[in-house]
Amino acid sequence: MNLKSMVTFLAVTYGLIGIMPLFVGDSVIIMRILTMILIWSIVASCWDVIMGFAGIFSFGQVAFFVIGAYSSAILSVSLNVPPVVAMLMAGMITAMVGVLVGLPCIKLAGPYIALVTFAFHMALKPFFSGPLGKAIGSGGSRGILSVPPIKIFGMAFSSAELVPFFYLALFLTLICSGVIVAILKSYWGTAFLALKDSEDFAVSLGISAFKYKLMVFGITSFITGLFGALYVHYVGILSIRVLSGQVFTTLMIMIVVGGIGQYPGVVLGAVFTVTAEQLLRPLGIYRFVIMGGLVVAVVLLLPDGITGLIRKLFPGRQEKESRSIETHKSSLEGVG
Amino acid sequence: MLKAVNITKRFGSLKAVDNLSFEVQKGQIYGIAGPNGAGKSTVYNLITGFYPYEGKIEFDGRDITGLPPYRIAKAGIARTFQIPKTFPSLSVQRSISVGSRFGAPGGLDSAHVNEILHFVSLETERYQKTGLLNLLGKKKLMIGAALATKPKILMLDEPMAGLNALEIKAMMGLIRKINSDLEITIVIIEHFMKVLTDLTETLLIIETGRMICCDAPEIAANNPQVIECYLGDTYVEC
Ligand SMILES: Nc1ncnc2c1ncn2[C@@H]1O[C@H](COP(=O)(O)OP(=O)(O)OP(=O)(O)O)[C@@H](O)[C@H]1O
Ligand SMILES: [Mg+2]
Repeated sequence: MNLKSMVTFLAVTYGLIGIMPLFVGDSVIIMRILTMILIWSIVASCWDVIMGFAGIFSFGQVAFFVIGAYSSAILSVSLNVPPVVAMLMAGMITAMVGVLVGLPCIKLAGPYIALVTFAFHMALKPFFSGPLGKAIGSGGSRGILSVPPIKIFGMAFSSAELVPFFYLALFLTLICSGVIVAILKSYWGTAFLALKDSEDFAVSLGISAFKYKLMVFGITSFITGLFGALYVHYVGILSIRVLSGQVFTTLMIMIVVGGIGQYPGVVLGAVFTVTAEQLLRPLGIYRFVIMGGLVVAVVLLLPDGITGLIRKLFPGRQEKESRSIETHKSSLEGVG
Repeated sequence: MLKAVNITKRFGSLKAVDNLSFEVQKGQIYGIAGPNGAGKSTVYNLITGFYPYEGKIEFDGRDITGLPPYRIAKAGIARTFQIPKTFPSLSVQRSISVGSRFGAPGGLDSAHVNEILHFVSLETERYQKTGLLNLLGKKKLMIGAALATKPKILMLDEPMAGLNALEIKAMMGLIRKINSDLEITIVIIEHFMKVLTDLTETLLIIETGRMICCDAPEIAANNPQVIECYLGDTYVEC
């Protein structure tokens, strides 16, 4: 997607979400859904950047989210760091952890990266619930029960006041989306794509695989950690339950539905998945059966997710482009 | 300009390159030939830093042994690959810009990228995705991206493989032009003896990683050892 359509897509989607509180600001449940859509859309976007664009099969996305959440919670509860500062520090801590996890992944092929990063995810549960976690203030298996709200100029932002918190989340979402677009459309994004397409060709042209792969780990884990922190100050409590398979699966559904490597399609994936999960809640645990079936259907029928579907329904420029290429190809063959 | 001193590469028990030494002079078109599996592509992979090896490689009087590939690219050694490689996610123009942005000394040079698009005649395909190019197009793209790094030396790995007679002629013209107009030293791995005798000034022949001979192509082609081990059957074809 080119820069213009990317920005338009994001402006329209987040714009529509942004005016919703004017109509439904009184509905607790809808405001909660909208806030979660914002948070998950960014976490899923970061996953799309590292997996879809850079081609690195990192399964550590939820782990980074949780590290950001724990960092900010521990800093603000145990060390009394003001939440805004704690959130930024949480982002930086997560970025450092991301780079450390990325280091062994640089030389590894796809499936092994998935294994390494998921092993890291699995290791977090015993870490935070065990004595090591307790020692740093994770609260063990009980978790942390009283994470303070975010305070800016004397105003408190938390789930007690849903509308203000929503707009704080929207503000951060817009900033981070801007950063993601800027990265993807700059030569950094080009380096990610080049390394994914052919690492040999890319490095032979002067791209440092080491630098750009670590960079993608660093940037995506910073933003993910920041949003983990935002989340924890919103809900006010934190335990290792966030590391459950449910959260991981939900996040995966978002990027599959949105289309892997089809940013910003993943934002629609988040809208759809968070809403569907909420609507299917009465079904209890069975809702995951439906969601799972949905993923299978999407993967089989719409390999590029909703984005691919939209492209099929509204061919527009893309179609014209490929058609002119085809005519050009045949004219070339005529000459050759 | 480019000097290999006693380089050896082992893959397990196999010596793909075996104590090989050679030197490429500035401004030359230098040919490398040898039967399949002789170790030609491996020599390229050693020079461009893709594998560690024993021995030493100097470029422009500087020891480049052990440098990572991207540093070697920035130092002025560009290459193409035997099996064409492209960036299917990127357009032709963007792919060539990658070489300019990351490999060239001064960073991105849009005017230079335009010149290259013209030079390798990919102007009309500039906005096309590279995956849609035909074989000749992909080879031209690899060369274009390599040239965008403003190299001092360009190493081509079997640029003629898979091309028809007309395309081979065009490719030979392009290689000559790179050497004469852009004043870039060329190393070329090739199987077609005709191409080598037409283009190159020096021809290095290797077999099982070892040098058989290194001489002017006409002389090398008539070396009895060479005819025996390599040209015996290919010569008839040409
Ligand atoms: N990465 C690798 N791992 C193990 N063995 C390798 C590797 N790369 C090359 N080889 C082996 O090294 C030897 C030389 O291979 P190389 O590709 O350099 O030959 P070549 O002269 O380029 O042949 P061709 O004309 O077929 O391209 C072969 O026996 C090959 O199987
Ligand atoms: Mg080869």
